[in-house]
Amino acid sequence: MVDEPKETKLRVRRRPNPRLDQLRRTWYFFRRNTLAMIGLGILIFFVILYVVSFFYAAPATQLETYQATNGSLPTPTAIFTQVCTYQQGESPPGPNCYLTPVGMPSVIGPTATLRTASLGPLPFGSLTLNPPGQIFYNTFDGLVKGTQWSLTISVGVVVSGAFIGILLGIVSGYYGGVVDEVIMRLTDIFLSVPGLLLVIITLAVFAPSVTNLWTRVGLVIAAFVVVWWPSYARIVRSQVLVVREQRYVEAAKASGAQGGRILRKHILPNSIYPVFVQMSLDVGTVPLLIAAIVFIGFQVFTTRSFPEWGTITAFSAQPDVLASFITNCQSASALGLGCTFPWWQFFFPGLTLFLFAISVSFFADGLRDALDPRLRR
Amino acid sequence: MRLWIYVVRRILLIVPVIIGVMTITFVLVNALPVSQRLVSYYGPSPRLSYDPVIPCSKLTGNPSTLGNCTNPAYTRGVAALGLDKPIPVQWAIYIGNSLTGHWGYVGNGTGVTQSVPITRGQPVVTVLGWFLPYTLELAGLSLLLILIIAIPIGNLSAVNRNRPVDQAARVLSFSGYAMPAFLLGSVLLMAFVLLLGGSSGLSPFCHGQSSYTDLTGSWPPPQCFPGQLYPTWLQSGAISSPTGFPTVDAAYHGLWFMALDTLIRILIPAFVIAYGTVALLLRFVRNSMLEVLNLDFVRTARAKGLPEKTVVKKHAGRNSLNVTITVLGLTFAGFIGGFPIIEQVFQLNGVGRMIAYSVTLTPYDFGMIFGSTILFTLLVVSANIIVDVLYAFLDPRVRLG
Repeated sequence: MVDEPKETKLRVRRRPNPRLDQLRRTWYFFRRNTLAMIGLGILIFFVILYVVSFFYAAPATQLETYQATNGSLPTPTAIFTQVCTYQQGESPPGPNCYLTPVGMPSVIGPTATLRTASLGPLPFGSLTLNPPGQIFYNTFDGLVKGTQWSLTISVGVVVSGAFIGILLGIVSGYYGGVVDEVIMRLTDIFLSVPGLLLVIITLAVFAPSVTNLWTRVGLVIAAFVVVWWPSYARIVRSQVLVVREQRYVEAAKASGAQGGRILRKHILPNSIYPVFVQMSLDVGTVPLLIAAIVFIGFQVFTTRSFPEWGTITAFSAQPDVLASFITNCQSASALGLGCTFPWWQFFFPGLTLFLFAISVSFFADGLRDALDPRLRR
Repeated sequence: MRLWIYVVRRILLIVPVIIGVMTITFVLVNALPVSQRLVSYYGPSPRLSYDPVIPCSKLTGNPSTLGNCTNPAYTRGVAALGLDKPIPVQWAIYIGNSLTGHWGYVGNGTGVTQSVPITRGQPVVTVLGWFLPYTLELAGLSLLLILIIAIPIGNLSAVNRNRPVDQAARVLSFSGYAMPAFLLGSVLLMAFVLLLGGSSGLSPFCHGQSSYTDLTGSWPPPQCFPGQLYPTWLQSGAISSPTGFPTVDAAYHGLWFMALDTLIRILIPAFVIAYGTVALLLRFVRNSMLEVLNLDFVRTARAKGLPEKTVVKKHAGRNSLNVTITVLGLTFAGFIGGFPIIEQVFQLNGVGRMIAYSVTLTPYDFGMIFGSTILFTLLVVSANIIVDVLYAFLDPRVRLG
């Protein structure tokens, strides 16, 4: 009678959660990796920027509102009356105007006073220079607004790709036999097509009939998932092949656990960590690939200057845009006028892409080292 | 003898993969409207003797309505592609066509963007055959650069593990992964333009002399393109193009300066392509070298008093090579996927540039896009075979398994 309360107390006390323990251990090792912590810091910055971007009332979506109110995109002439640009053969209307090829608006709407603004700490933060009704956003607005699209798309791609890959990889690795053979030959086929091209052909077939913005974004995600699932399936399968031979799986089988329970409780949690590493690496690759596809001239999104990191970067680094900058400076100096080379147009978007990709790769590297006991020093 | 059996078996194993890739493209082609499929297979209107988009545009793939179209060319096209038959038959016809090299015809764009005049209406296979040597030359040079850069730096950082050299290599590796290739290319291009001067736009790569940059197109500096697809010395029938490879052709005709000039022009593009792959490869080279350096035979080599240089180069270096080759094979798909970007940045002739052209046309040039996808897949697959054979050659144990 005396002992009973003590016993219940013991029973109530919770068993330490092994997963929580492992998480704590991982964090302990992760914290000691300087590069990984830098990566994590930059990532946290981007996550904060992601949240902020929803509340940031920038005129970044003015191109879409233009399309919504007027029913179509502005014609190049409509664009060029708004900004200080001029075309081949014309004389420049003033200093710091840009020679712009036909049909190629610049991402910043360059104005006559741009140079004054560009003396500030952020040469691209020329918020007040955007006259109302101007259909362009400046690079800063575009990048802040672009955070939400870029991160949504990359995380969407990686999460859905990993979901399909984990599912197929586990089934393939655990059951083996014909199922394994079929799934692995499928991954072989998908992995032998260059990813960039597979995305392009998928988009080229389906995109022309999709004009709705959100459906288009979904299509972009789907096109990337087609490319991405095989690598996850491969990783998970190779892990499952190791894990399923472990003693604790045997023990679970011996104690009568069903296949589904073994997969869920024993195999999945123990083979998923390499997927996390690969996922965090791939999150950084998606905007880079979108940038590449936009760069070679494919219109991924519904508008050419869609506020997404990759699109902004690629758009401002087009060879003809760069060539027009150079020609502009050359003709301006011939006329005795000053010339501001708009380096920020591709520098800051490119820096954003670079920082994002390098921070996730630092993060992934640190995560790999922290999770794999062999790599710890 | 055994190596030959292995090679043949490896090639036979690749056939299902190729058919599988063609099945993926078939699924995508099947999602296109019938008129688009006809255009991509028969090319622009002259060949089909009518413009399928206008008279039969409302018929989008529904077999029951296909018979309503009275145009004989349309029905002939539909019958030849089996579009009025069930999907498996269509698939069989598609695979048959693809395997026998019937990849359709290059279309022509409408409106502002037009396809390259010389390629317009030509069979896709022929056009790809023109441009493939250019891409292969670029690929060969950048593969060479990859091996030249990655292996010594990887070995160096393994030997100096966790020293500044290793850290620098790590930074190089990470930045190569994170750097958008087109941006690096554009910046390098601009830097060379501004450094080397020149009044004709981006002159160093765009001289009108190089066999890589003579391509009609929408590129703004008009002096860049004298209006012909082929280099001047190729088109003026006096000099023939026996191989199709520009550098080799120039050398064949004794134009050594031209050959050298062409090579120098693709050196920087090749470097930009190589950089991304080097970034991936570097870590693997380093890690495999570290593993090999800890093996017993290396310790033996050291113990018998060999100089450290010989140990690292001859004993460890050669044994860590097979990991390098394997990883190179794995990254080859990504490597080949970078060509459209780089060829677009530097405006080089090649299959990648043709892909960039095809996706800027409206409507897209599907014959070209699908054709070059299959071509690039064939390249990746054959590179994998070569890698496997090399691996088997380096490590004879593989063939037994």
